[in-house]
Amino acid sequence: MPELGRKGFGLLSILGVLLLWELICRAGLVNVSLLPPPSQIAPALWKILASGSFLVPLGQTLGMLLIGYTIACVAGVALGLLMGCSDYLYGLLEPLVEVIRPIPKPALIPAMVVFLGIGAGMKITMVALAALFPVLINTLQGVRGVDPVLLATARTLGCSRLETIRKIILPASLPMVLIGMRVSLSMGLVLVILAEMLAAESGIGFLILDLQRSFQVRPMYAWIAILAAVGLGLNVLFEMVEDRAVPWRAK
Amino acid sequence: MLSMKKINRMVLIATFTALATAASAQTVRVNYIPITDVTPLFVAIDKGYFAAEGLTIVPTPSVGGAAGVPGLMAGAFDVMYGNVVSTMLAQQQGFKLEVIAAGTKQFENPVNTNGLVARQGDSIKTGKDLEGKTVAVNTRNGIIWLFARAWIAKSGGDPAKVTFKEVPFPQMLDALRGKQIDAAFMVNPFFNAAVTDAKDFQLVAAPYREVQPDVEVGHYISTQDYFAKNKETLVKYGRAFRKGVQWYNANLRDPDLVRIISGFTKMQPDLVAKLDLQRLPEVVNLGSVATTVKLMKDNGMITDDIDLAAMTDPNALK
Amino acid sequence: MTIAASLTRGELTAKAPVRRMLFGELARTRLSGAILIALLLLLWEVSAARGWIVSDNWPRFSAVLVAAYRGLLSGELAEILGATMYRMLAGYAVGCILGVLFGLLLGSNRILDWTIRPLIEIQRTLPSPAIIPPLILFLGVDDTLKIFIIMLAVFPPVFVNTYGGVRGLDETLLLTARTFGLSRFDTLRKIVLPATLPAMTAGMRIALSLALIMAVIGEMISGASGVGNYLMSMQYAMRADSMYAAVICLAAAGYLLNRIFLVLERAVLHWHHSTRME
Repeated sequence: MPELGRKGFGLLSILGVLLLWELICRAGLVNVSLLPPPSQIAPALWKILASGSFLVPLGQTLGMLLIGYTIACVAGVALGLLMGCSDYLYGLLEPLVEVIRPIPKPALIPAMVVFLGIGAGMKITMVALAALFPVLINTLQGVRGVDPVLLATARTLGCSRLETIRKIILPASLPMVLIGMRVSLSMGLVLVILAEMLAAESGIGFLILDLQRSFQVRPMYAWIAILAAVGLGLNVLFEMVEDRAVPWRAK
Repeated sequence: MLSMKKINRMVLIATFTALATAASAQTVRVNYIPITDVTPLFVAIDKGYFAAEGLTIVPTPSVGGAAGVPGLMAGAFDVMYGNVVSTMLAQQQGFKLEVIAAGTKQFENPVNTNGLVARQGDSIKTGKDLEGKTVAVNTRNGIIWLFARAWIAKSGGDPAKVTFKEVPFPQMLDALRGKQIDAAFMVNPFFNAAVTDAKDFQLVAAPYREVQPDVEVGHYISTQDYFAKNKETLVKYGRAFRKGVQWYNANLRDPDLVRIISGFTKMQPDLVAKLDLQRLPEVVNLGSVATTVKLMKDNGMITDDIDLAAMTDPNALK
Repeated sequence: MTIAASLTRGELTAKAPVRRMLFGELARTRLSGAILIALLLLLWEVSAARGWIVSDNWPRFSAVLVAAYRGLLSGELAEILGATMYRMLAGYAVGCILGVLFGLLLGSNRILDWTIRPLIEIQRTLPSPAIIPPLILFLGVDDTLKIFIIMLAVFPPVFVNTYGGVRGLDETLLLTARTFGLSRFDTLRKIVLPATLPAMTAGMRIALSLALIMAVIGEMISGASGVGNYLMSMQYAMRADSMYAAVICLAAAGYLLNRIFLVLERAVLHWHHSTRME
């Protein structure tokens, strides 16, 4: 089974890296109080998982991500569609989008705090703002890239604007939209963690920073491992959804 | 008549002297937070005290970040200004640090340069009034958090019933105005901005002064490793730095000082002129540090005792 | 015109006339967008001047402009932008080179693909800010750390796109190469590389904005120079006007970088137009 073989290789290489890490620590090549070996991180990880203390921070981080991401996707697709179908709206909004896009969103925190305060609302807005752009731009690109022949056919058949959007434009641009949503997912996760590091008192990002500040290095790495698993898990989930949504797309 | 032998000897002596002088031009990398507390460092640089000892200082700033002790341990710099609580926490975790100079001390100062601020009109007078409310601190598990809790306890409240929120200093006033927090433990220049705006804000208390009047808030540390290998350099450093402290203490209203402070904090000179500067200590007092460490223990921040004398440079004590 | 330009770049020539007409219209209608921005800035100015919004962190827009003017004149803004750019480009270059290298290698060799790609997937899905605290413990807080973080952010998109480009290669091209007896290296150089170029540059373009963002973020968390550090220190010095001035310069720099990249990309791809896949 080539599939199994592939996964087997993957697992082996991960184990190999862990082994190398362990050996490097044992050999004394790194300062163990700064980089503990996996054998010391594993007990800390086990403690966090077994005690269930991972649930609350995980829930908080994922919660903020989910809300911000959903807002970003809905707004991104909606705006992308609108801008893609209406030249006027495109002209109106494109400069604004291009101006805000290159600004690293954490640079906007002081302004956002003035208007939205320091709570979850501000952080969710920041996540949504950052995740908005990949979806928006990809949707735009997808809509604009729809084959004009299809559009002409729709017109000939007498489809209304709404019908054209629903039956032709949306399905045709779906692959691009999904690419944008996938990029937005990673971006959203990065921003949730960042927001938690810069202005929060809970969540995985905050924990990692807090543990580093109080030099509890082993739990810190344990949480990073949890975060890595979360990132991978989200990606796998996304791929599963993607496969269902666009099964006709050749891999 | 100069013989070949004599010339050779002279060349040899000249070379040795040159090498010796070059070797003594030591570089010390110092990490600092751009607050007025570290002004003596820049006074000493500006007035040439370090240069007179043959030292070149390379200062690098870090603003409220994850840097600091981790950077010190990673060897990114040799000396850093940090707060006492953070140092003790690191020491507890097994990081071997050495206190090499005194930093900031809350002397009996008639004017406050930091404190708990609340909105004008809210009746918050004691720790009890803060129960069920939210207090902003810059970082949890830091000295500000510790003393906020200690003050609440001392003034009749239960710190466990108070919610503490981490808010960066520049955002504290906004959060206070927006009613997301009820009080904030602020430092300059933000503290100054708050208390001079009597229409919107009121001073509730000065926790440092009320809990431990002689508290040592900040100090300069290095690693025990660096200390062991560079004793001579640190002696010279200490001498030059102390001269900086003395000049600073003697010239608190000097416009030259405004220039220096404006230079490294990037604050506008007119803002600097408005701030009340406080005297800074020349020596470390182990007794007051011990009191703070006990406070840390009482608040569950550390569990074991810390041998303060073993981690402090004797030169910093006298 | 970044979005519009990026749209047209990859399209079939059959759509070109439609695009050109749209261009003309767009040039006119973008005026409304500029007016919108101007109105928003006016709102900013009035809200601060009239006291609708009171905060040290909400200065008048005119004050921001003054600060920007002073900052540019004194060279302060140029200096911090320069520092950020230097780090950004260093991290970008390393990230791109590694991304292309790994993309090409893993795309063509199955064993390497199976062994190394899972590790790359883990790195890709782990948010980079989470790695900063442990990295500080090793790399300290100077340029090495920041360049490393930038590289970590640049690598995934370049890799993914290059890899995808290699995997999407037409089998016939590779068979032809083998028929002609081309060596492995020559195949790579003469067939694979030119054919994957569009995918590569797409990845590099995405990575460009990521590089700038990570450069600034790295400086905000552990900086001593550069824009990110300036943003933080202006906050602590209660100089919000200078801070916003720097944000505007940052936006302008990001926009310019994108434009320059598009021009370069068009030039490079134009040259390889004949070998492009569709």
